[in-house]
Amino acid sequence: MNALIEVLIYPISSFILISAFYLQAQEFVRSMVIGQMIQSALLGFLSFVIGFAESDYDFFILGVLIVVLRAFLVTYMLERRVPREKIHLHEKKVDVAFTFLVNLILVVTAVFLIYFLIFRSIHLVPDIGSSTIFIFPLTLFFQGLFLIASRKTTFAQIIGYVEEENALVLFAMFLLPIPLIIEASVFLDVLALVVVSSIVVIEKFAHEKMEDLVG
Amino acid sequence: MIAQTLLALLILFIPVASYAAYCFAGKSSLIVGGGLNVAVAGLMYFGPDLSGIFYIDFTTWVFVIMVASVHFLSVTYATKYFHGTDLGIRENTFYLLMSLFTTSMFFSLEINNFGLMWVGIEATTISSSLLLIAEKTETSLEATWRYLVLVSAGVTFAFLSIILIFYSLGTLDVSSIISHGPEASPVLALAVTIALMGFGTKVGIFPVHTWLPDAHSESPAPVSAMFSGVLLPTALYVLYRVYEIDPLTPLYLWAGVVSIAAASIFLGYQTRYKRMFAYSTMENMNLALIGFAIGGTAGITGALLLLISHSFAKAGAFYTSGSIFKASGLKKISEIKGLWKSMPASSASLLMSSLAVTGAPPFGTFFGEFLIFYGLLSMHYYFPLAIIAFFLVTAFIAVNHNVSGMLFDGESSYSEPGKVMPFLGILSSAIPVLIGLVFVVVYLETL
Repeated sequence: MNALIEVLIYPISSFILISAFYLQAQEFVRSMVIGQMIQSALLGFLSFVIGFAESDYDFFILGVLIVVLRAFLVTYMLERRVPREKIHLHEKKVDVAFTFLVNLILVVTAVFLIYFLIFRSIHLVPDIGSSTIFIFPLTLFFQGLFLIASRKTTFAQIIGYVEEENALVLFAMFLLPIPLIIEASVFLDVLALVVVSSIVVIEKFAHEKMEDLVG
Repeated sequence: MIAQTLLALLILFIPVASYAAYCFAGKSSLIVGGGLNVAVAGLMYFGPDLSGIFYIDFTTWVFVIMVASVHFLSVTYATKYFHGTDLGIRENTFYLLMSLFTTSMFFSLEINNFGLMWVGIEATTISSSLLLIAEKTETSLEATWRYLVLVSAGVTFAFLSIILIFYSLGTLDVSSIISHGPEASPVLALAVTIALMGFGTKVGIFPVHTWLPDAHSESPAPVSAMFSGVLLPTALYVLYRVYEIDPLTPLYLWAGVVSIAAASIFLGYQTRYKRMFAYSTMENMNLALIGFAIGGTAGITGALLLLISHSFAKAGAFYTSGSIFKASGLKKISEIKGLWKSMPASSASLLMSSLAVTGAPPFGTFFGEFLIFYGLLSMHYYFPLAIIAFFLVTAFIAVNHNVSGMLFDGESSYSEPGKVMPFLGILSSAIPVLIGLVFVVVYLETL
């Protein structure tokens, strides 16, 4: 069992984090959508692996839900809205290299502070590993938040939100999966939110300060 | 018990059914459906407490009747407000979303599961976001997006607290967790703290309140009334239920105090009347949060009295704001003059509602604030009480100074937009007086 965990769970979690850093480093909308798809697919795969390690069929259903609703449907919704005009295809006015550096400093500091102050003492479901594994969902969560805060395009902000949701799913997988009916409702909620957001994308591709909304 | 469960189900079903009827029979079905919901919510008062699929006690009932009443008033107002207006979304889509929005609020209030409560709160965001763009302006689109992103990101944070509650207690049943009584553990304390920031985003707690003035000011008047009057209290109800698991009184109390101070400061320099009322909502929600946090009869009764009075008063303020905007097309306080002579009915409702939301007697809000103050005094929270009192006075002066300028300074030639809209403004503003008087009578009888 431990061998399986070391061979699969930690590396997959690491790949999920790498996908988050990849998203942070992207300025092209289409690459971000694909990055989100890969991240969600990895999360679904991880759910299958944990289900196998724990002999818990709920994880398999969760994995299917993640792959179908998040990796496929969310990507499909976003892909349909990617603008055809090249001028809109990438993030303007954002220095990606600089924000990536700021992101690294902020996320690493926040994760280590929160982990050592709070999460170190939380005990996990047996077989998953030590509490250091919480570093993965915590990092992913802050990556999502930072992506929302640092970008101006609607697409990047939706993807940041989906990433934040992925972090919570990962967190729940490592700690104690919540009942499937609730998990399924959450997935549908997120999907509906992406659908609504994709309507806003058509009208407003990027966001700037507005005088009427100051104060 | 079965009858009460059926009534709780009916409450969820009526908004959607009235929309279905609207598709065939027109707008009057929406008004009839809204009225029917108020009647069903009223009947629920006589039923027993529920703890099966739904968890309903007196506190839940107060919130349910609040949502039903403001929805009824807002739908009636909307049928007139949008008459002859070019909408950003189709009119029937607007009413469909309004029905789903109301149903998701009822669902969040009634359901006996913290996880599904979260789902309900998230559903309120999804169903209400497109209501903001009904007036089809660039700013409303930006406000919609800010609302969607900020609230969703914040409420997602709250889901972390749901996971931690389930990890600690092994269940998400509201009734079994609450009946078990408060439980202190580091993980539950963490869950309750995270809920404050997560659900607090929707309640309007500083510094995660930033969506609130944008959404309130840019949405159409009936939607602003729903947001301010019942959406924020619904989120506050969920936060209160989480708070009951492990009451971290000092944390919640000081979060409320800081938020009231921030809201009063922001309120002082607002140049647009709807934004001003939005910050007033933030102030009232945080005062109610303090009432729930200190607990006891005074705290809880005060919070409920404040919330129900505020819901009608603020709905009245936004209905009147809608009438003024409809008549003048202006949003800035300094541009509106001499309403007292040109729009007497709207002026009366604006004056009454602004006095009510700032806690003047004999409105119910005054008695709610009084009880919360009494609760703070009895628990020896003198310093927070002094800060709150100072900032409430500041807010009172700021709001009423601005409103009196709009009413009595200069002259204007606007005219009332029909009879129904000003009437609904007056009705909503007058209900808090009735609530206040009923409270006094009941209070005197118990002495």
